[in-house]
Amino acid sequence: MTQFRSGREVSVAGVGLHPFGRFRDKDLAGLALPPVTEALNDAGVAWKDIPVAYFGHVYYHGMSVGETALGKLGLTGIPIINVENACSSGSTAFWQAYWGIATGIFDLALAFGAEKVPSGPVTVTAEDSPERYIGADHMMAGYALRMRRYMEDHGATATALAQVSVKARQNASLNPYAHRKETVSLEEVLNSRLIADPLTLYQCCPTSEGAAAAVLCASDALDRYAIDRQRTVKIAAAVLRSGNYNGRGSDHSAFSPYRTEPAALEAYEMSGLGPEDIDLAQVHDAATIGELQQIESLHLVPFGQAWEATQEGRTALTGDIPVNTDGGLLAMGHPFGASGIRMIHETVTQLRGEAGPRQVAGAKVGLAQCSGAGDVTTVHIFTK
Amino acid sequence: MLSSVDPTRLKLTNDEGTRGVLVGTRCQDCQVCVFGPAVFCQACTSSSLEPVELSQRGSLYSYTIVRVPPSGWPGPVPYFLGQVELPEGPQVLAEIIGCREADLKIGMEVELALQPVILASGNGAETTKAVYKWKPVMSTDAIQEASP
Repeated sequence: MTQFRSGREVSVAGVGLHPFGRFRDKDLAGLALPPVTEALNDAGVAWKDIPVAYFGHVYYHGMSVGETALGKLGLTGIPIINVENACSSGSTAFWQAYWGIATGIFDLALAFGAEKVPSGPVTVTAEDSPERYIGADHMMAGYALRMRRYMEDHGATATALAQVSVKARQNASLNPYAHRKETVSLEEVLNSRLIADPLTLYQCCPTSEGAAAAVLCASDALDRYAIDRQRTVKIAAAVLRSGNYNGRGSDHSAFSPYRTEPAALEAYEMSGLGPEDIDLAQVHDAATIGELQQIESLHLVPFGQAWEATQEGRTALTGDIPVNTDGGLLAMGHPFGASGIRMIHETVTQLRGEAGPRQVAGAKVGLAQCSGAGDVTTVHIFTK
Repeated sequence: MLSSVDPTRLKLTNDEGTRGVLVGTRCQDCQVCVFGPAVFCQACTSSSLEPVELSQRGSLYSYTIVRVPPSGWPGPVPYFLGQVELPEGPQVLAEIIGCREADLKIGMEVELALQPVILASGNGAETTKAVYKWKPVMSTDAIQEASP
């Protein structure tokens, strides 16, 4: 670990979110812009004061979409960087914004992300790659392989796995921005059609469209920009990692289930906090099994026990470690470029005490973890 | 004469394309073996590597039945996808053929099997390639029973 780690303190000054769902009448730039203006207004910062912007997205919608979107606010000549880092593209854009300030280059930065994910199974490789013919490139099949092995190794029940989705939908029913706002029963989750056994449709995140944005500011520059300190949230850790050798060869679907652990340990070290300090967590629940293995990797629950913790209600809004309080990927849906910043939006909203009916009482420390193909993982920790 | 779906990973050993061997790379410094070619070791970054022929048989680490296939999938639906651990270390994902759903079990022994698969290329032309798959190691009777 050679990461620079003693930079300036950075705060989130404002956040914005576009509802997640399907918006056929909007192009990518049209989706991306509303949360940007919302985040600027939330921070009370003028667009002309933003010196740098990072835009996360994956699917191709022409070149320089970040510039196209932000150009509508005025061509101020600032560097705008388009970021592709698979499902972690949004959180990677945020990570870059953080380090741009922490290293002293900028006082302010904008991170935003948007996506219009096509329907159908998500694949990683190019259209003509041999993996397609071999049948190995299938994101949800990869999760299904992990799920079956987890159930075999730890005795986890199908009902416990399904409870992750039931909980996600319960949280999303309290969130007007979610793609799937209707609650579901255990039976409905288990009886929804099989995608890749034992994963059923309601245990897979919907492919979605959406956008999210955040304005970051050096804590020592908050007064200069007249930002309301009552509503800022401190960034205590910002970590991005790619994969270490995992012993699983190079097939894309055989990604390492516990690859988040090194990033989590680095984030705990950077923040001086431990898993026992975390009041709530947003984690990468692209499938139900994902949430279980993420909260184990983050050491929020012991390895092999997340399924029991879920059944006991410990990860529900009323539990001791609420997870995916806004509905997570399973109910919010998963626009790749936006999801990582959506998690940060929810964390900031909770720590501000502004989450309304899904507010976690007394939340002071929140964690957001986002994964992506290439064994990418980001972990951010926030404190109020 | 069939060609391999991925010559860097599957070397054919007869002209009919019915026999072959999976190719891996072993690091001479840390001994880690990976599936497919490599220039540098994934585990320790050494460039002292040697190609190795991987075992024909491995153990089923996990499996799934894919009901909604990825785009470009040329085979039947549903299909069984196996994650197979080889004695040399690598795990290799491929379709499992020649068995019934009830036969699938974590830990079962499987062996390499090659099948000709018709692939549609972008310009509408079709080519047939030898694709590597897994099949259970079991008695001849059981295989015949499992065949459609």
